[in-house]
Amino acid sequence: MRHKELKMKIKITLSILAIVAGLAAGFYFFRPHTFHGTVIQSPEPAYDFTLASTKGDVSLSDYRGKLVLIYFGYTFCPDICPATLANVGQSLRELGEKADDVQLIMVSLDPERDTPEKLADYVGHFHPSFVGVTGTQDELDTVASLYGIFYEKAEGTDNTGYLINHTATLLVIDREGYLKLVFPFGVTVPEIADDLKYMLRQ
Amino acid sequence: MNKYLLNGIYSILALIILSAFAFKVFQPIQVLPRMQLSPAFALTDQNNERLTSEDLRGQFVLYNFTYTNCPTPCYNMNDTILEVQSRLDEVELDGIDVSFVTISIDPEHDTPEVLNSYAKTIGADTEAWKFATTTNKALLKTIIGSGFETYYEDKGNGDFAFDPAFILVDGWGIVRAEYRYSTEVTHADRILRHLGVIAEEVRNSTGSGKLAYEAAHLFLCYAP
Repeated sequence: MRHKELKMKIKITLSILAIVAGLAAGFYFFRPHTFHGTVIQSPEPAYDFTLASTKGDVSLSDYRGKLVLIYFGYTFCPDICPATLANVGQSLRELGEKADDVQLIMVSLDPERDTPEKLADYVGHFHPSFVGVTGTQDELDTVASLYGIFYEKAEGTDNTGYLINHTATLLVIDREGYLKLVFPFGVTVPEIADDLKYMLRQ
Repeated sequence: MNKYLLNGIYSILALIILSAFAFKVFQPIQVLPRMQLSPAFALTDQNNERLTSEDLRGQFVLYNFTYTNCPTPCYNMNDTILEVQSRLDEVELDGIDVSFVTISIDPEHDTPEVLNSYAKTIGADTEAWKFATTTNKALLKTIIGSGFETYYEDKGNGDFAFDPAFILVDGWGIVRAEYRYSTEVTHADRILRHLGVIAEEVRNSTGSGKLAYEAAHLFLCYAP
């Protein structure tokens, strides 16, 4: 009788241990993804712009079904633009084949100096899939404002020419065309790759 | 053995579902939705100084849209702002500044001088309450109409139709609340409560608190 009781106790203890271990493992594997960027629950699709590239007009909606990263900058940008674009390029290389479902669009805020050709050449240095677009001042004013990007010309040196100060956020549009994530400047390669991987599984 | 294991698993599953349900029902944490990006802009204020969206980064900003020539009875939006401003000490803001920006939809008439005297007439504290607009009418329409999704229309002969909305934007430039229709609770009461909610999120959503706050966003635990 005592032997039986002991056996039962061991069984119960083992079961509880197994459940706890299972739960811990389950929680670890199925825990909700914590985004590194700020999640936006937009009730409607992001503004569908159409701007010029070397391959003709490019609209946001051309890439429906892919994740679209939008970055605003300019090719004369001395520091923050290359840093962000290099990080996105590296993130895409880490995603491997899955990167085929991700498209970065760089919108140049410097239509005076950035021709579509110059832009295409510039973005190609960071990743072959990157697309660079630009437009008239009025078009750019609208697109930038609606994506929360403030920009203005600023004085530079003789070497750099004028500079353009601009909001340096990196925006992620989901496969359905909704703005989903906002990365602040300084976001790292693992952070970008982690959030993109999660969104690609959705 | 199997029976115990199964019962154990069932009760733990039930517990998880129950606690998720309780989280949704009792809403231990309330948040405001992150609705969309607030538009970027460079406007001119009542002192003929530039006011940009970047100047306001890091602050909570309450926007509204009107024109100074609005014939009485006009929507009374100023009293709401005056009340919120005077009752700000009721809210725990942890040093986060709150600004008010009234954007004029009538830049032709509402020059900086006109806006300046308008601010004086209503007794606005212009340290924290700016009156601004831009003479670029197309861009103004983009900012207010598409960016803040607030309707207005030039009726000609100096009259405008407009939606008397308030829009609350957080320090990251994200729209967190819109106040378009009067409810039983006054706009001022709701705005003050909401300022407290977003300040609390800034204060508490660090470390493991962030997980709880993201869960609150996921479960749509929105403050009324």
